[in-house]
Amino acid sequence: MAGSGDTFHDGSKGKDVRTSNIVAAKAIANAVRTSLGPRGMDKLLQLENGEILISNDGATILKNMKVLHPAAKMLVDLSQSQDIEAGDGTTTVVVLAGALLNSCSALLAKGIHPTAIANSFMNAADKACEILEGISKPVDLADRESLLSSVDTCLSSKVVGQNSEVLSPIAVDSVLGVLEDIEKSRSVDLRDIRLVQQMGGTVDDTELVEGLVLTKGSSKTGGGPSSMNNAKVALIQYCLSAPKTDMDNNVVVSDYAAMDRILREERKYILQQCKAIKKSGANVVLIQKSILRDAYNELSLHFLAKMGMLVVTDIDRADIEFICRTLGCTPVAHPDQMTADKLGSAELVADVFMEGGSNKVVKFTGVKNLGNTMTVLLRGSNEFVLGEAERSLHDAQCVVRSLVKKRFLIAGGGAAETEVSLKLMEYSNELTGMDAYCFQAFADALEVIPYTLAENAGMKPIEVVTELRKQHAEGITGAGINVKKGKVTDMYAMNVVQPLLVSTSAIQLATETVCMLMKVDDLVIVARA
Amino acid sequence: MESAYMSMGTEMEKGENARLSSLIGAMAIADLVKTTLGPKGMDKILQSVDPNDQSISVTNDGATILSKIPLDNAAAKVLVDMSKVQDNEVGDGTTSVAVLCGELLREAEQLLLQQRIHPQTICAGWRLATKEAKAALEICASDDITREDLVKIASTTLSSKLVHAEKKHFAELCVAAVERLKGSGNLDHVQIIKLPGGSMRDSYLEDGFLLEKSIGVGQPKRLENCKILLANTSMDTDKIKIYGSRVQVDSLNKVAEIETAEKLKMKKKVDKILAHGCNVFINRQLIYNYPESLFAQNNVTAIEHADFDGIERLAAVTGGEVVSTFDNPDKVTLGECDLLEEILIGESKILRLGGCKSGAACSIVLRGSSNHLLDEAERSLHDALCILMATLKHPRRIYGGGCTEVAMAHAIDKAAQETPGKQAIAMASFAKALLQLPMIVADNGGYDAAELVTQLRAAHAAGKNNYGLNMTNGTIGSMDELGVMESYRSKLQVLTSAAEAAEMILRVDDIIKSAPRRREEMM
Repeated sequence: MAGSGDTFHDGSKGKDVRTSNIVAAKAIANAVRTSLGPRGMDKLLQLENGEILISNDGATILKNMKVLHPAAKMLVDLSQSQDIEAGDGTTTVVVLAGALLNSCSALLAKGIHPTAIANSFMNAADKACEILEGISKPVDLADRESLLSSVDTCLSSKVVGQNSEVLSPIAVDSVLGVLEDIEKSRSVDLRDIRLVQQMGGTVDDTELVEGLVLTKGSSKTGGGPSSMNNAKVALIQYCLSAPKTDMDNNVVVSDYAAMDRILREERKYILQQCKAIKKSGANVVLIQKSILRDAYNELSLHFLAKMGMLVVTDIDRADIEFICRTLGCTPVAHPDQMTADKLGSAELVADVFMEGGSNKVVKFTGVKNLGNTMTVLLRGSNEFVLGEAERSLHDAQCVVRSLVKKRFLIAGGGAAETEVSLKLMEYSNELTGMDAYCFQAFADALEVIPYTLAENAGMKPIEVVTELRKQHAEGITGAGINVKKGKVTDMYAMNVVQPLLVSTSAIQLATETVCMLMKVDDLVIVARA
Repeated sequence: MESAYMSMGTEMEKGENARLSSLIGAMAIADLVKTTLGPKGMDKILQSVDPNDQSISVTNDGATILSKIPLDNAAAKVLVDMSKVQDNEVGDGTTSVAVLCGELLREAEQLLLQQRIHPQTICAGWRLATKEAKAALEICASDDITREDLVKIASTTLSSKLVHAEKKHFAELCVAAVERLKGSGNLDHVQIIKLPGGSMRDSYLEDGFLLEKSIGVGQPKRLENCKILLANTSMDTDKIKIYGSRVQVDSLNKVAEIETAEKLKMKKKVDKILAHGCNVFINRQLIYNYPESLFAQNNVTAIEHADFDGIERLAAVTGGEVVSTFDNPDKVTLGECDLLEEILIGESKILRLGGCKSGAACSIVLRGSSNHLLDEAERSLHDALCILMATLKHPRRIYGGGCTEVAMAHAIDKAAQETPGKQAIAMASFAKALLQLPMIVADNGGYDAAELVTQLRAAHAAGKNNYGLNMTNGTIGSMDELGVMESYRSKLQVLTSAAEAAEMILRVDDIIKSAPRRREEMM
């Protein structure tokens, strides 16, 4: 390029760019591969703000890794997508993408055109999903045992794996609990399940609350009650404090008597508002946070306490919808609208002291007309355990959700991947041309999953993978790695199963990303992408 | 010498140097994008160097790549501009236009340096060639366009993009979307919603219209036979908007009274809105707690904070109008739709309006494994939609796969043989540049380009004028059978803009660069 026409700074081309992409993507895959499987290890991440995070979840690790290379960024995005689609298998998808890219470099070295590879890989992914569907077993959502065992499989790789007998039923029950119709529903909104973290106790103390838990204890300033039987709950969005206009206002005080009068008026004004609440029959009051003015003051808390009402303050506007749906109440935005039909009711509303911690929470139990919502009260001895427990529980819930979306199970422990790999290999023998080569490479890449599982479990990967192949060739489609015993056994017999959706989505998403990387031949530096 | 009459810092390049600098700049740009051409073209990663924005994007779209490269070459900028114009006019062919222009200039360089032909003579020859090419293109074009042809045109455009594995699916989707517009021609009314997760195949055209908003608390989540009032109004108290206005009172009760008055104003506004007889109220601005609860009381679903585009599209789709005063309920047209419901796609809750009255807008939901993929898919769909709109406006089609380029080159060559003088050499060079396009396409596919293009030329000479490149097998074949079609309008635009720009660059003999404007502190 001529001097003045020197238009861009970097021009690493074609092969170089592709090699660099493959190397970077493989590096990312290598970074997380040790966290795969029941014997996978966790990563400790030190965040920018100095905080520490310990996790086994691929999506969480990658999100916080702050990668720079464009190809690496795509892999991070990939694991996020798997998180959205299936929730589980975020490590698998990245490891798989790394392995696919690895086989791509071999194919490229043979001189196969990248777009041809991309095309064949897409076809291979379709075929793989077809095979997976072929070996999957339908599951009935009423069959609690199968659901529990697939959740167990998911949790087995997490630090909270030993608490799976507590967490698995919670995950299953919470998701099934928010389902509108067990037969027909095809999707679940996990936001209907609230995870409330409270430090103290152990993970085993985690419980599923059919009702509501608010993290802030009831207000004690007025000396009101801290528990209430047969509660009538009012959720108010207006403020229990001195009146304030939207316009600036100032009250002119001209003498001492006026001041006295103003104080009296304020008292009277607040008392009236409190009385209105009392009149509606409410005995528990939830007050929404306000940024414009004080949502409450000492005086109003005092009055409410005198009237024997339990008060919880500082409710977030974002939480209003959830609370309303749970308790069956309607928010009240103006004192005039305060009527009995807007109240929700619960048998017991009480402060509960969180043992081992210093916090109190308010628990609502025995709610009448409970909506399709659930609350899980997570406990843990420190914040790292809590954080990881929350992520793991979320993954576990996603597993159940995947089963709601696609009601099929397949064998875990690398059994499904081995089977697909073997069948694809067989199928490739029927093909000719580029497709045959690429299908074989694709099948090879799939073996990375059992290989890594075995490696992480401290077994001899080559022996295990070949043993798996042999058993699958003999027709035992459920043969997988039994990590506990360190040998190959039938996974269906061991109840190591996982949702079909997790595997198909991992294969499809990984292939899409790999194809995208294959098509790239240039890296252009621009001012703003 | 220039220093005698030019101010400090001004640079000047003359004659040969100037010409070379612009030729090389333009060729470099063409070389940069030419690998993206054709169904086996490659993509580029664009990496931002902005320290605040380390984002990347992956693209195959010539206009996107070119518009983002920082440039310091006048001729290169002309090419970039041209590609942008192509993007605005027809949406597709943004790479072709830059590449053709680059190839023309490459030929010109040969003529200038080796044969010493005057630039003006070259231009004259090119003009004759362009005329011949247009005539040949005209002959190639066919006027009757069926829906199938539209699908074929869309899939030809999409074949070079990342979505090509699913091109049939997406081509159908684009044609259906354009049909929904019913000739309004406003692509703003096709809303593309990108949701990560799922595979590209899960993308679909939504029957109804989607809005990424949520319904207020305690209001009906599912409504049939909706009467929709679209508004752009503030729902907080209409306070006096004079700076420093304030209330001055001497007792707290009076403050309370004013507060009540304020609340009353809100309620009045809500009452006025309710008087329209709507059961859905969609506002561009925020709706606060109090009005929200009033709406809830009256069983009206209120949706707040719909962005500006959203409101405009809603107006188009429901046939309502956007209002901001509510005094004349009888003069306001309400939008209508059969069903309003919340649906869950991936992890996002989205409002769906089904069975809309006018339906002159639609939503395409894109799914894919990463945001980069989704962004590129959006660009590709945009290209395909644009080309479909252009085809509907000028309903003529031609065959793709390098077919028309070869036909044009053939016609020019024939004319050149009958033209006396040096112009004929320039005409031949134009034909050669045109042939470069199928060459590059074949080359990108990893095929023997020279072999294929000469075969193609022979086929055209033998009268098989619908022959083009078959990029799946690496042979030549009838484009009619393969269903590779392009828009006449787009090809014509490529031809004329590339020829014009090349001529313009060629006629330059001086480049004068003004000194950069001085900053204040330097003076």
